[in-house]
Amino acid sequence: MAKIEDWLTWALSPTISAILVTLIFSLTLPVLIHYYLYKRAVARELPTFLLLGPSGGGKTALLTLLATGTASPTHISQAPQTAICQLPSTTRASEDQYRSENDTSSRSQPSILLLDTPGHGKLRHHAFSSLTSPAAIKGLLFVVDSAVLSSAAGLTEAAEYLYDILLLLQKRHTQGKTSKGPQAIPVLLVANKQDVFTSLPVGLVKSKLEEELGKVRLTRSKGLLDSGIGVEDDDTDEEGNWLGEYGAKTFKFSQMREHGVEIDVVGGSTNGEGEDPGSVHECWSWIGANI
Amino acid sequence: MLDAFEILTTSGIVLWRRHYAPLSSNVIDSLVRDVFIEEKQKSGGAENSAPSYKKDRYTLRWTSAKDVGLVFVAVYRSLLHLSWVENLLAAVRGLFTKAYGQELRKPHTLKVDTAQWNPMFDALVNRLDTGSTRRQSDTLDSEGPTELTPPSSSAGDDAHEPPPVPAPLFKKPAIPAKKGVVVDDTTSTDATPVPTPDTSRPATPGHAASHILTAKGGPGKASRRSRKGQTFNTSAPASSGDESSAGRTLKGSGKNATKGKRRWDIDGMAVEGDDDGVLDYSAPATPGPDTADRELDVSDVNTSQMGSHTGKGQFVLKDLDDEVDAILASSKQQSTSTTTTNGEIATGSGLLNTATSRLTSLFRNVVGGKTLSKSDLQQPLQQMQTHLLEKNVAREAAERLCQSVEINLLDQKTADFTSIDATIRDSMTKALTRMLTPTSSLDLLRDVSSTTSGPGARPYVISIVGVNGVGKSTNLSKIAFFLLQNRFRVLVVAGDTFRCGAVEQLRVHVRNLSALSQREGVGKVELFEKGYGKDAATVARDAVAFATNRDGHAQVQGQGMLYDVVLIDTAGRRHNDTRLMSSLTKFGQLANPDKVFMVGEALVGTDSVAQARNFAKEFVDTKGKLRNNGVGMDGFIISKCDTVGDMVGTLVSMVHATGIPVVFLGVGQHYGDLRGLNVGWAVDKLMK
Ligand SMILES: Nc1nc2c(ncn2[C@@H]2O[C@H](COP(=O)(O)OP(=O)(O)OP(=O)(O)O)[C@@H](O)[C@H]2O)c(=O)[nH]1
Ligand SMILES: [Mg+2]
Repeated sequence: MAKIEDWLTWALSPTISAILVTLIFSLTLPVLIHYYLYKRAVARELPTFLLLGPSGGGKTALLTLLATGTASPTHISQAPQTAICQLPSTTRASEDQYRSENDTSSRSQPSILLLDTPGHGKLRHHAFSSLTSPAAIKGLLFVVDSAVLSSAAGLTEAAEYLYDILLLLQKRHTQGKTSKGPQAIPVLLVANKQDVFTSLPVGLVKSKLEEELGKVRLTRSKGLLDSGIGVEDDDTDEEGNWLGEYGAKTFKFSQMREHGVEIDVVGGSTNGEGEDPGSVHECWSWIGANI
Repeated sequence: MLDAFEILTTSGIVLWRRHYAPLSSNVIDSLVRDVFIEEKQKSGGAENSAPSYKKDRYTLRWTSAKDVGLVFVAVYRSLLHLSWVENLLAAVRGLFTKAYGQELRKPHTLKVDTAQWNPMFDALVNRLDTGSTRRQSDTLDSEGPTELTPPSSSAGDDAHEPPPVPAPLFKKPAIPAKKGVVVDDTTSTDATPVPTPDTSRPATPGHAASHILTAKGGPGKASRRSRKGQTFNTSAPASSGDESSAGRTLKGSGKNATKGKRRWDIDGMAVEGDDDGVLDYSAPATPGPDTADRELDVSDVNTSQMGSHTGKGQFVLKDLDDEVDAILASSKQQSTSTTTTNGEIATGSGLLNTATSRLTSLFRNVVGGKTLSKSDLQQPLQQMQTHLLEKNVAREAAERLCQSVEINLLDQKTADFTSIDATIRDSMTKALTRMLTPTSSLDLLRDVSSTTSGPGARPYVISIVGVNGVGKSTNLSKIAFFLLQNRFRVLVVAGDTFRCGAVEQLRVHVRNLSALSQREGVGKVELFEKGYGKDAATVARDAVAFATNRDGHAQVQGQGMLYDVVLIDTAGRRHNDTRLMSSLTKFGQLANPDKVFMVGEALVGTDSVAQARNFAKEFVDTKGKLRNNGVGMDGFIISKCDTVGDMVGTLVSMVHATGIPVVFLGVGQHYGDLRGLNVGWAVDKLMK
């Protein structure tokens, strides 16, 4: 006890040493705190890309492929998973687009944060909540199994999920219009498993999904209101809940452009035995262009 | 014998696996789907035994390590009774999390380099397999397919090639010092045939051991082990011959060679076991004459190597033995000890200690980063449970929800600046969301239009069941109204041939609906009734036949279907009235509805669980299997939701009891007062 008292007396006494210590302390502390917070903020601010899609599409396989270079065997996901990956040197990020091909000055390839979400019907809230979170989401990769799309049930499931996502993006855009609008989030539709014999080609995947989205849009507009309406938001007007161009007969992905959603479609295959790395390449260049 | 063993993360990535026979990936997929996500299989009270799940002809047993997010799954034929698998799971969990847990806890970790795990696992199986089911033929069978799927661990694959260009974030784990000896074993079973060194791994075992020795010379035990390993390596130049022969046979394309090698591998273990005196179960498998016949050179090398190999092998095994025994013992004790430790802590520590610990725990509670123990969770969970009960959730459901939250959070760390209460709330919100969200959403309009159009068009049949007075007829009318608005032709069937006045009540509804639809110029609706006293099942069947108009009634020849949707009302019945309830089975089979909806009241209390269960179990098909993938019914309509305010707990109770989703909510007296369920809305109300 006596020691503590001594120490306290010294700390409050007008000696040079006490003043010096206090001075050093009070000067360095803000700097340290600043660095600490700054470091944390930077670590969080990696450009984030979200992997979405119905279960079994190959999201997790794609995640491991993009992050480690080889696709792991996978099973149904129960929890989201993040990974940091660095753009391969062959891909040029958008910020590098004016750089000369011959510029040999060292440039570090940017890193991105990939977030894989479970695709099972009961676990999609992970995807929706990370989509509405304030994190800097730069793009969505919607991964579908092109072989499953040839069955009616598979097609409907993929289209309904995609519909929910697109409608969310559209609402986000319309709501953000008044204030400083949120950044537009582009969507890449990855028609995965192109190596499978029964898979649909990319063009067909696109047109089938557009057609099915049109049907989903139609029944959703006529369906029952859900119980949450009137509680959360009161925009029960039809136009706000109509995906794409209001009143259009058929749905086209290009209609989403006016709502600030760019949609690209690429084919892909995560277990192309080395001879077909092109699929991932397309994903990479899309990611690079959207960082 | 085991068919497969896999170690996967909750995010679905297989960290390590061993397939002894070809196994379709969807066996484990359905385990994850049915047990972990949809929770179809309610885990019983038996906590001490690892739970099991049956799929096709396989039995799956699993255990999980929640803190690192791992699931360990063992797969074997249901015909076999492998009781030792449970021990294997516990041991693997203990050893694997010890070896790789540190790395797995880091964020963004996708894979770990599990190359050294292979021999460890083999040794574990050898140690724990009580041999009851092991036959020579089994081991022989199992080897071929293993060869067919060479990258049994994908991470192991990595080790052979330089890392890919997009630099992976995970680092190759530094080989733990205490594994020095085991690493030797890896190289001897895993190495490439020619002694060309791997580029990414230390070339020779001796090198590895010494490297570790210099790097981590610290703790006595570890260094002792590695020193021992080192001496072994330097003293036995013959071991390299051992290595290459093993490697050659392993990678050799000839099937014979493979078999021979496998046997040698086991025998090698067996010999070690003999010395140990523990593993004598495998004594009959010691190299017999036929081994020698078939693979002369290999067995030659073996016999010459046995001495040194035994020395090393014994060491590995003994080490492993201690650790495994400890793990098994602790896993057995765990259930009994948890209750006692709490008391001990409270009494054993001084007054000052408790005060400071309480202070830090308070601090931790505010700042986060607290590891949750059972006692931390107990009180807030109790509060959560009472909260749920107040929301009219049945006790059974509330208890189970709290239990699953507790299992989820136990030994977890709270996030930064998050209190225990907030953590529990968050976890409970997730659990409720997962429970209430249907696996696939119901789009009634699409279902109806796809059934009633195209080739094979037929009327869509919906029937409504429920106990007395919950509002079956009212909700049926609401659905009819909804369908009419979408221009479908609806036939309402009076299937309640029992309660007097039931038919008249429906007639009034139909008259109203008819007037409404005429005014708006939408679909048409009519009543189909056969008076009282008839068998409801037959009435329903006749009604469907009438709507289909298969044999073409005279006046409507060639017009095809008369109605798009057949809506069948049924008699209300007490769920504990077995005679009336069993008539539902016949009804389900004769009318064969596309959808069976049960109406439940938002007002009822605990009774709802029994109601839902009893109704669901009546809907079996002729083969005795429950409809709709074994859940019986297709959805609940919860009526009178407008009268209960926030107390929407009935939703949870009914879904919990049966796994059947809530599809519609009745929210008022008008025909238009039918709503789909918005899960977020319901969860908000429950957590308020
Ligand atoms: N043939 C082929 N199979 C693939 C391809 N991509 C993924 N798969 C397989 O598809 C299965 C499902 O892949 P996952 O990555 O687990 O699917 P997911 O989208 O993560 O599914 P959830 O986690 O349930 O949402 C795995 O068995 C993969 O091996 C591909 O390009 N071709
Ligand atoms: Mg996944």
